[in-house]
Amino acid sequence: MKTMKVTFQVNSDKVTLQVKPYETLLETLRERLALTGAKEACGMGSCGACTVVVDGIPMRSCLVLTPEVNGAVITTVEGLKQDDRLHPLQEAFMEKGAVQCGFCTSGMIMTAKALLDRNKKPTKKEIITTISSNICRCTGYKKIVEAVEAAAKRT
Amino acid sequence: MVLPEFEYKKANSIAEAVALYKGYKGKAKYLAGGTDLVPLVKLRLSAPKAVIDLKGIKELKTISRGDGWLSIGANVTLFDLKNDPAIKGYFPALYESLDATSCETLQMRGTIGGNILQDTRCLEYNQSLQWRTARGFCFKMGGKTCNVVQGAKACFANYCSDNAPALITLSAQAKLAGPKGARTVKLENLFTGDGKKPLALEEGEMLVQIQIPLKKTKGAYEKLRIRDSMDYPLVGVAVSVAGTKARACIGGVGLVPRVYDLKNVNDAAVREAAEKAYAEAKPVANATLTPAYRKKMVGVLLKRAFNKALQEGK
Amino acid sequence: MKDDLNIVGKRVVRSDSLAKVTGQARYTADLKFPNMLVAKVLRSPYPHAKIVRIDLKRALKVPGVKAAISGFDGYGIKWGVFRYTQDHAMLHTDKVRYIGEDVAAVAAVDEETAMEALSYIKVDYEPLPAVYDPIESMKDGAPQIHSEYKNNINIHIHIDVGEVDRAMGKAFLVREDTFKAAGEAYAMMEPYAVVASYVNGYLDLWMPNAGPHVRAKALSNMLKLPLNKVRIRHINSGGAFGGRSEVAPGDLVASLLSIKAGRPVKLVLSREENATSSRQVHDMIATVKTGMKKDGTIVAKDFKVIYDGGAYSSTGPIATSIPFYVYEECYRFPNVRYNGYRVFTNKGIRGMYGCHGRAFLAGNEAQMDIMAKQLGMDPVEVRLKNGLRSGEMTATKSKITSCGLKETIIAASEKTNFKKRWAKPSRLKGVGMGCVAIMCGFPMGFRSGSSCYVKINDDGQVTIVTGLVDNGQGNESMVIQVASEVLGVPMGDINLVNADTEVTNLDPGAYSQAAAFVGANAVRVACENARKRIVAIASEKLGVKEAEIGLKDGLAYSIKKPDKKMPISWVVREAFFRGEPIVATGSFFPNIDFEREWVSRPWGQMAGTFSFGTSVAEVNIDSETGKITMPRFTSAHDCGRAINPMAVEGQMEGSIQQAGVAAITEGNLWDKGHLLNPDLLEYKVPLACDMPDMDTIIISSRDPAGPFGAKEGGLTVRMNAYSAVACAVANATGELFSELPLTPDRVMNILERKKGVK
Ligand SMILES: Cc1cc2nc3c(=O)[nH]c(=O)nc-3n(C[C@H](O)[C@H](O)[C@H](O)COP(=O)(O)OP(=O)(O)OC[C@H]3O[C@@H](n4cnc5c(N)ncnc54)[C@H](O)[C@@H]3O)c2cc1C
Ligand code: SF4
Ligand code: FES
Ligand code: FES
Repeated sequence: MKTMKVTFQVNSDKVTLQVKPYETLLETLRERLALTGAKEACGMGSCGACTVVVDGIPMRSCLVLTPEVNGAVITTVEGLKQDDRLHPLQEAFMEKGAVQCGFCTSGMIMTAKALLDRNKKPTKKEIITTISSNICRCTGYKKIVEAVEAAAKRT
Repeated sequence: MVLPEFEYKKANSIAEAVALYKGYKGKAKYLAGGTDLVPLVKLRLSAPKAVIDLKGIKELKTISRGDGWLSIGANVTLFDLKNDPAIKGYFPALYESLDATSCETLQMRGTIGGNILQDTRCLEYNQSLQWRTARGFCFKMGGKTCNVVQGAKACFANYCSDNAPALITLSAQAKLAGPKGARTVKLENLFTGDGKKPLALEEGEMLVQIQIPLKKTKGAYEKLRIRDSMDYPLVGVAVSVAGTKARACIGGVGLVPRVYDLKNVNDAAVREAAEKAYAEAKPVANATLTPAYRKKMVGVLLKRAFNKALQEGK
Repeated sequence: MKDDLNIVGKRVVRSDSLAKVTGQARYTADLKFPNMLVAKVLRSPYPHAKIVRIDLKRALKVPGVKAAISGFDGYGIKWGVFRYTQDHAMLHTDKVRYIGEDVAAVAAVDEETAMEALSYIKVDYEPLPAVYDPIESMKDGAPQIHSEYKNNINIHIHIDVGEVDRAMGKAFLVREDTFKAAGEAYAMMEPYAVVASYVNGYLDLWMPNAGPHVRAKALSNMLKLPLNKVRIRHINSGGAFGGRSEVAPGDLVASLLSIKAGRPVKLVLSREENATSSRQVHDMIATVKTGMKKDGTIVAKDFKVIYDGGAYSSTGPIATSIPFYVYEECYRFPNVRYNGYRVFTNKGIRGMYGCHGRAFLAGNEAQMDIMAKQLGMDPVEVRLKNGLRSGEMTATKSKITSCGLKETIIAASEKTNFKKRWAKPSRLKGVGMGCVAIMCGFPMGFRSGSSCYVKINDDGQVTIVTGLVDNGQGNESMVIQVASEVLGVPMGDINLVNADTEVTNLDPGAYSQAAAFVGANAVRVACENARKRIVAIASEKLGVKEAEIGLKDGLAYSIKKPDKKMPISWVVREAFFRGEPIVATGSFFPNIDFEREWVSRPWGQMAGTFSFGTSVAEVNIDSETGKITMPRFTSAHDCGRAINPMAVEGQMEGSIQQAGVAAITEGNLWDKGHLLNPDLLEYKVPLACDMPDMDTIIISSRDPAGPFGAKEGGLTVRMNAYSAVACAVANATGELFSELPLTPDRVMNILERKKGVK
């Protein structure tokens, strides 16, 4: 099997890897880089648990081939903390009780992060539209919406 | 779920992509956002030897105006297209269909080209190899029966692009390029009616641009789905009105979007079109709601889309 | 009851959330060990077939394959929760009973190799006739799925209290209706995964589970290993909802492979496998006959409920009973008969579910409204009239010790202006109310209690050790909060060691609503015992009476003269000097009648206490499409006391999604034995945009035995939210539903039925 050389930045690290051409970004993050924050809940693009931000865009990493992100800048949930300070979204998710089992949490946070990065003051409706890309089985979403609203006020 | 083995190639020009395709002797797949293709490959419904990534081709990424046309590169994402002011201003049906497609995250990755060229869907088809092996292969997988309609001689999978029906109501055309050269076809002529090969593309042919006559229209898109995000259409009805003429197009039911032209938009003509569309729609039990209900909704949503389109225009 | 509490009752940040928002919380699929192998399972393509032969030889020859197993490699011991339901070998040598059932498995160096190897396993089957519908399955001549269960009737629960026929004969109003509901998918976001590591005769296992001790026991039986050599370890769980309660085939598969290969083995199910081959929820058909007096008093109930149980018993006796009990714990039924039949079919295994019983419960509630209306009453009146009160007995002789049912009904109806709106529904807009009660715990023999061990370390920090498990609902944080309250030590200074069978004691687990009432109570008792020791030393050292010592923020102080104080760490060091470190144990065993048995003796005290709740749904129906939208949803829940109100609200909101909105979206779809929506796309878990505005109201009835008065945190909503929706649809249309979920096509049928009648 032929492998390919791929270089990208993930969080603060620049990485160069030999990957399978048919390897998904989710596999690369989880299996090669030990970044297991992104989860595989469906593997088919139907839930958003695997969402990471690639060049500012939220992506379902289970549908992205790693060679596609050659040269890209990738942020995962592990890279949100800055100088040991939690990202406002992380703080707000904790304070508002938006986390239960936590399996959807990193995907939710990364989806919301991409929203706040492109839209500093989203309306509640915009927040709901955005997070309707992701499934949460536990919370009923109310506290997730509240957390994103609170984080938007803080950024 | 791991993917099966294939090679990855990235093309920087249309010519390069077509040349790569030829090199794989038809065993390659073009890759745009991958949101339709990757799930199919994971399910072992598509087994390319290589994928040819088109995202490096600059001319596929632009939206331009000229000669009375709006030309949209095949790789423009649904999200970017939706946010282009021309769409909302000129083509409300398309704006609404883009907005109703899947979910925001997938709109940011999925392209208009990939959306139009997506495979048809069926509850008995979009399943894993294990699942389908237990069920037995149907026509669309190279078998000899349909697993939904006993004794049928054809496939009834649904073409579920939300945006192709809207584009068809806008008289859009597709600019194609392939090993045999370039051609332009009306979008509604892109469908074969054959479940195994639902799209009338030649071997290695690429979608380069979608072109829409740049005329202001009134319009609307009505989509039947269970959840208000993520879900494919169970019925999708697009309507565009320009002057006294109008066009409606039905998607989500069967292999081919059905087109209805109205020379004079008035209540009677709309009613007639709704009745005709209802009569001609042939949904089968291969999506989540009952076929009888989906059939009924074809007429209901067509009327509703006209109402909305004409009201908003006022 | 003491009300000046420091931390219990506060909206505290859950102790597990930091790890979860930073991506550091580890779930089973995240685990990686040196030399770890990947397992894959070969599954049955037949709904029902005899296994003639399984040949693993060629698979074993694939380079990179380290072990392969089938049922012939195990002991063939059949698992069952009860002695009389031992019918599940997990890996079979005789026959397969559903599509997707585990047949054989391999462990290899990577997933691709394992998948390749599966294709070389040769299995010869002899297909057998199969049956998919429980009514067909009960008929004479239907294919027999298990030889020992005649007519495929797995469980029959028969309860007969009073004189039903006589009371029905004398009733002023009698009505009988039949309701159906499709089974749901648990759809927990984490697909099932298990890691097994067999080293030096010891088997360590990690998997999302709702009760580590019962799981270890089952595996020790099936693997013929002593219990001290099977250790279930703590790991985060990505949701359970009842679907992780029992030992799973994957546990046995991974264990056998690890024993064979001598290396750790990880098995992660795909989303499809999780849907087809872990657990599913029962489809059901409920016939409800009710007799009422002219004044709305229910005089008799006669129930026949058929549960489609899939291929094995699972928690059958419990599942066949619970919908009835949560209803009889809510209302007064002087005469009641219940016939619950759980029937085998050639479909996946069905287990208990947090929202179990929707056809039965929603059917009862919607029927009650229609009858009340005929008698000139409204839903509030009829519920208040028939609702149980504190001190009363249920029909099957459980005493209700504390009851906030009335308060939940009143709070929810006042908040929504219910009575007025119900009386005058505007066109296709309706409101509906659903009530239910939930037992906090149920008889599980000696496993019904919990115990806790607590030690205070030399720096004043605390370690608590308990068998209690968390599936995402916040149980871990809850017991830390309780310990913090009792010991006066901040939550951040408390470490929890839990859900590890080697170091913790028995606990009822997280599937009988006993975590707060039993698990947290044991923690409370242990901490109180430790507290007494701290107070004794502090009293001596500070020269203050024991009764006047307070503990707060890591300090022991005089309540009267707060500047007289010392750090708890000093107290602890003193205790070490005395050779009597501060360690304590505490247990809680609920007041349950242990003679009670699900099938043979269905009466006696069911649980230590019961929670109560009322939900109100508001629906709008689109007259042309039948699509329901829900602008608002209100739930009031009597949880005794909310230890962490934010967590209770979260449970209630999640329940509105999983039971309320699911009542219009969720259901498994079948084509004979093929599950058509084993995914997260065609199985419709509601999204944020589908959610109503939600109001949650917490009612505190302060249970005398609960920890600080607590009972359980929100399950009533999981079992009354669909009722509220069904009742609201009846209010809007004037018609009873016949089948859940109320997808738009079914709602159109209701609307058309109504037109037809006119
Ligand atoms: C959970 C989920 C929900 C979805 N819901 C919807 C929905 O509601 N409505 C809807 O319409 N779609 C839906 N989709 C499908 C898909 O996301 C969109 O249709 C998307 O626009 C596809 O674009 P893409 O760029 O990702 O296509 P790709 O997957 O990259 O391509 C699709 C097909 O087109 C071919 N192709 C792509 N570009 C070209 C080109 N320029 N020339 C020739 N061939 C090309 C590919 O080879 C492939 O066969 C959904 C998908 C998922 C995973
Ligand atoms: S409609 Fe019939 S032939 Fe077509 S994909 Fe579905 S089962 Fe196969
Ligand atoms: S795991 Fe990628 S979308 Fe579900
Ligand atoms: S917190 Fe469990 S899935 Fe969202």
